[in-house]
Amino acid sequence: MHSKTLFKQDFLKKWVLGLQYYGCSTKEMSISERTKAIKLSSDVAMASCRDGKTCWSRAVITDASKQGENKSLVRKILGNEYEKLTKYSIRSLVCNKRVRSKKILRKSRKSRPLVVLASTVIAKRMVNKRTRMLKDLVPGGDSIDDSFLLEETLDYILSLKAQVDVMRRFVSASESLICK
Amino acid sequence: MLHITGNCTDMTILERQQQQQPHFNWQPLLQQQQETYFGGGGDSHFDFLSNTQQLGVGVGVGLGLGGGYLNNEAEVMVADLANRPMKYDPGFENNECWPGFVQRTVSCPPLKFEEKNFKKRKAVADKSQNSKIVGAEETREKRIRVDAKDESKHTEQKSNERETSGDTSKENSKVTEVPKTDYIHVRARRGQATDSHSLAERVRREKISERMKYLQDLVPGCNKITGKAGMLDEIINYVQALQGQVEFLSMRLATINPGLDINVDNFFAKETFPTCSSSFPAVGVSSEIANCPAPYLQFNPAQQISICSGMDMVINPTDMALRRTTSTPVNMPEVLLDTSCFTQAQSSITTWETDLQNLYNVEYLQGRSNVFPPQSFTDILESNNLKMEL
Repeated sequence: MHSKTLFKQDFLKKWVLGLQYYGCSTKEMSISERTKAIKLSSDVAMASCRDGKTCWSRAVITDASKQGENKSLVRKILGNEYEKLTKYSIRSLVCNKRVRSKKILRKSRKSRPLVVLASTVIAKRMVNKRTRMLKDLVPGGDSIDDSFLLEETLDYILSLKAQVDVMRRFVSASESLICK
Repeated sequence: MLHITGNCTDMTILERQQQQQPHFNWQPLLQQQQETYFGGGGDSHFDFLSNTQQLGVGVGVGLGLGGGYLNNEAEVMVADLANRPMKYDPGFENNECWPGFVQRTVSCPPLKFEEKNFKKRKAVADKSQNSKIVGAEETREKRIRVDAKDESKHTEQKSNERETSGDTSKENSKVTEVPKTDYIHVRARRGQATDSHSLAERVRREKISERMKYLQDLVPGCNKITGKAGMLDEIINYVQALQGQVEFLSMRLATINPGLDINVDNFFAKETFPTCSSSFPAVGVSSEIANCPAPYLQFNPAQQISICSGMDMVINPTDMALRRTTSTPVNMPEVLLDTSCFTQAQSSITTWETDLQNLYNVEYLQGRSNVFPPQSFTDILESNNLKMEL
């Protein structure tokens, strides 16, 4: 419980840093832009809280830093760890290569004539389909193994929970400020 | 014939043992023993005893080795052994069973023998530095004892010997397997696939099911669902819901901001963060806050101190504020605790609510204290708190 609150504090700190970055920029923003900015900053803050220990956080950071205008935001939130955390992109690229070869394998397998569909085959197919869906959902999920994917999902869900919690409090707090 | 067959199997085992462990050698020890206690009998006698002791079970084997005058004696011994249900403790090791045996055939002080023997045994065990072999020997002996209870005839003993030798060979193979288990923690049972691929696959599957169990605990409403596909569905839904929630909340925050535009921008810009607040006079702020609003600070004297300290340390106000509130969650005034917009009973969550609330209060005060008279402002805050309470 204690580590959880610490984690949330860390997240909030980093998130506020990110928001502050947007607050500093004098550029006028529409609501959708602002939404995107807030979401991105919270995601990056969340990911940077994991210290690059998990695949999803690294994927989030590398994805964010790929786009030019977000680079400075990522750099701001990550601070000193920027170099360390964005280095992982090389590894993920290597992983992507392997995935491609796997996809080719899958294609070649499909070309085989279908045997009679047993229930086990159907079940397996269902599981595979859902696993692929999950891989799409979890950032950086398409480059990892099944057993590892579940681990990542566990971590990701926990982080998302914390993120939602903090954000909700933030929203409610700022709402209470306007209300009066 | 018996001698040959028995000896062959058993010797292979022995050889294996010795291969595994070059230091672990029975021969010199036993010879020493015999030199001390038998005063140097015939060579054949030596051979017999050392062999029997080496083999543990090799009573029948000894027959063939025992030459000349000892032959009869050996036969008697064997008969003795076969008829008598070996009474020694299972805890005792190989050699400790022999004194009794020796006592019957050769007149020798058993107690002394046992004592010395034990010591030597210990020394050997130390030398060998591997208790696994010894353990294997022990278990083998237990098995032998069980077997010995049943057997009464020579022929039966023969078959038993083979069985036990088979067992020992199995155990030996297990011993050789030990280093393998450092890498793979799954041991294949009988009838299961044993090649490394299927073992690795099993490890992977076990890992997956374990993670699934954790996920089941984590994702609400996942407890009742059996089957991997259903659970994955639930997990996917949950992750999607959480992501959607993040999106929604960020949108909400974005829509709130325009109304609070100046305020929030102020709020984020002038939050006295080290990077942005270089132009912001830190000392001025701290003094202002310190002088400020009695009504607000009257909530809790402890808080007052902490707020002041928080403002003095302009290095990172959020951090300080958070630390302050987490370190003194019990001292939280009732009013602030009740301001939580969500009705969650968990203490940590409520403290978090108050964390944020306090954070906002402090920051708000800070941001606006230049513009507004602090007194009126805290009044507003107070009324807000009261409203929230209702």
